[in-house]
Amino acid sequence: MQRLRSLFTQNTLLPYGLAVIIVALTTLVLFGLRESLSTPVIALLYLLPVVVSATLWGRGAAVTAAVCAFFAFNYFFILPLYTLSVHQPQDLFALIVFLVVAIVISQSVSWARAGMEAASAREREATHLYEFATALVGLRSLQPIMRAIAEKTLETFRAECVEVEIADEPTPLRLPGPHPGRRPNYVEVLLAARDRQGEIRLWRAAPFTSAEERLLRTFASQGALALGRAHLALAETRAKVLEESDRLKSALLSSVSHELRTPLATIKASATSLRSETVDWNAEARRELLAAIEEETDHLNRLVGNLLDMSRIEAGALHLQRRWNALDEIVAGVWGRLRPRARQHRIELDLPDDLPLLPLDYVLMEQVFTNLISNGLKYAPPETAIHVSARAQADGYVRVQVRNQGPHVPEEHLERIFDKFYRVTAADRVTGTGLGLSICKGIVEAHGGRIWAENLPDGFAFNFTLPQQWEGLAPPRPPVELEGA
Amino acid sequence: MNSAPHVLVIDDEPQILRALRTILAEHKFRVTTASTGEEGLALAAAQPPDVVILDLGLPRMSGLEVCAQLREWTQVPVIVLSAHDTEHDKVRALDKGADDYLTKPFGIDELLARIRVALRHSAQAQGSPEPVVTAGNLRIDLARHLVTRGEATVKLTATEFKLLAHLAANEGRVLTHQTILARVWGPEYADHTEYLRVYMRQLRKKLEDDPDQPRYLLTEPGIGYRFVAEA
Repeated sequence: MQRLRSLFTQNTLLPYGLAVIIVALTTLVLFGLRESLSTPVIALLYLLPVVVSATLWGRGAAVTAAVCAFFAFNYFFILPLYTLSVHQPQDLFALIVFLVVAIVISQSVSWARAGMEAASAREREATHLYEFATALVGLRSLQPIMRAIAEKTLETFRAECVEVEIADEPTPLRLPGPHPGRRPNYVEVLLAARDRQGEIRLWRAAPFTSAEERLLRTFASQGALALGRAHLALAETRAKVLEESDRLKSALLSSVSHELRTPLATIKASATSLRSETVDWNAEARRELLAAIEEETDHLNRLVGNLLDMSRIEAGALHLQRRWNALDEIVAGVWGRLRPRARQHRIELDLPDDLPLLPLDYVLMEQVFTNLISNGLKYAPPETAIHVSARAQADGYVRVQVRNQGPHVPEEHLERIFDKFYRVTAADRVTGTGLGLSICKGIVEAHGGRIWAENLPDGFAFNFTLPQQWEGLAPPRPPVELEGA
Repeated sequence: MNSAPHVLVIDDEPQILRALRTILAEHKFRVTTASTGEEGLALAAAQPPDVVILDLGLPRMSGLEVCAQLREWTQVPVIVLSAHDTEHDKVRALDKGADDYLTKPFGIDELLARIRVALRHSAQAQGSPEPVVTAGNLRIDLARHLVTRGEATVKLTATEFKLLAHLAANEGRVLTHQTILARVWGPEYADHTEYLRVYMRQLRKKLEDDPDQPRYLLTEPGIGYRFVAEA
């Protein structure tokens, strides 16, 4: 049916030929039945091929059919037979009425048909446009928009090949496959608000109808609008990022200068006191002041370390020195170093002996545990334990938990505590730059893991995962020797 | 006093030079200072020091380069100083022949301990090595392959002993992962830190009172291990 119809539309003479054939066939049938049919019935039956031609093949075919039927009717059925002359005036009258009726019918039927065709063409066009617009809805970046334009154009116009090129993308997108190796049959410019955004190129042997040309133009302008929107969104995002980084910088400056000055104030006060010749410090007081200087220096050093780590994470310059490492060794080392300032807390380690070695950057992972345990030391009440546990999971990750008996964090803050400078508590109650947890997040994610916090019935916990595999290799298990070997 | 050990400090920070000069002189060392690598090398040639303290972050000629040039003609112990988070540089310096490292900022006790160890090892290098190393209640007899903890003999596997012996012979000094692996397992194992992790855990279980808080077998994060006799 499809092929038949395209045959008809392509060959303009065919409808007339078919009209002639269908009249000839009707004549053959009527001629066979001429004994049992009266002239008026024959005239009526001759209207059939006219109506069929009008419905199927349009006005031209219908008129052809009408004229042919007029002559065939006259020649084969009107006396005298087998001539085109007419003796009876009433027969002449019948013939003329027949011709007029046939032509009027063919006109009105073909008008109705043209109207229907136009309506369904408009409907198809509207459907295509709707689908095109739907495909573009919600797309905010250039490449998906390019792809949507190319896919829809290819599908709608049944093209051999469609190529979409836009100004900001170095390579054009071509569907479905390689270049046909000749110049495109149609090129439509993607134009929005007089800005040339790019081009749609289309390869198709069959010529375009005017409706198709109109549709392609509409596609192009819709596509260009979507591209324009994407450009605006992109510019907006850039502006937001800049604004955000400005905001972060000033937050950093205010937070950092406050945080750095606090230990400096202690150091300065202690050192000037010790130098003062007006006071004769006793041994106990001297020790106290000197201890303050030493502790605050360490504190300052940690702050600077955190700042450096943060800036490296931010700059994407975190180069992991990965090796197969034992988690228990890392945690034990961190606890050993934190112990002097953690006398009010205990640590409980729950790290199974058969925990696999993990591909970790030792120093950075120490930083993660240092920050998470320090966080617990800061918030958990004295005389409570900090609990560190790890388990190998079936999904190829090891899950680590650092738990303390500190207060809950409101659910709405649980995700944001890993943001830079984000503090749940008022800054004057607990010291810190608000960088520690975001550093942990940066390091864990650089290792391919995930970190999150949760409230527990009896405290608060940080959880994170670490992959067991490294470049496709499972954790090694070096052979163990027997004693005395 | 002429017998006082001679320490050469090479650092471009005047305040560090000032502090170290004062502190080390107070601890009975003879101190010379240089603020560039070139000056340091010239001074080392003119008055051979007993220990060199070398900052890795020197301008122009880097500390690494100075270390390499020193090693061309002298085995003088070199202790490198470096900023936080430059484990890679420290390992490179140690591989280039430096004896030990300290991370800035450091406590003066740590620096003095490193200097003492360096002096002891350079004295030993001239004589014969100590056949027996003791640390707390541990006694490691390197010649007879015997390790005792208090009264009891500790049973070690061949590799465990080899590892412990290498660490103990370098008592007080940091040894990089690569050096230990190449020495104990062979050069082709130099990158297999997993062996070291596993065997160190075993050694700690056999020798330390609390394997999680070791006193003798210390981890140097990102660098290697250090055996310490005095806790």
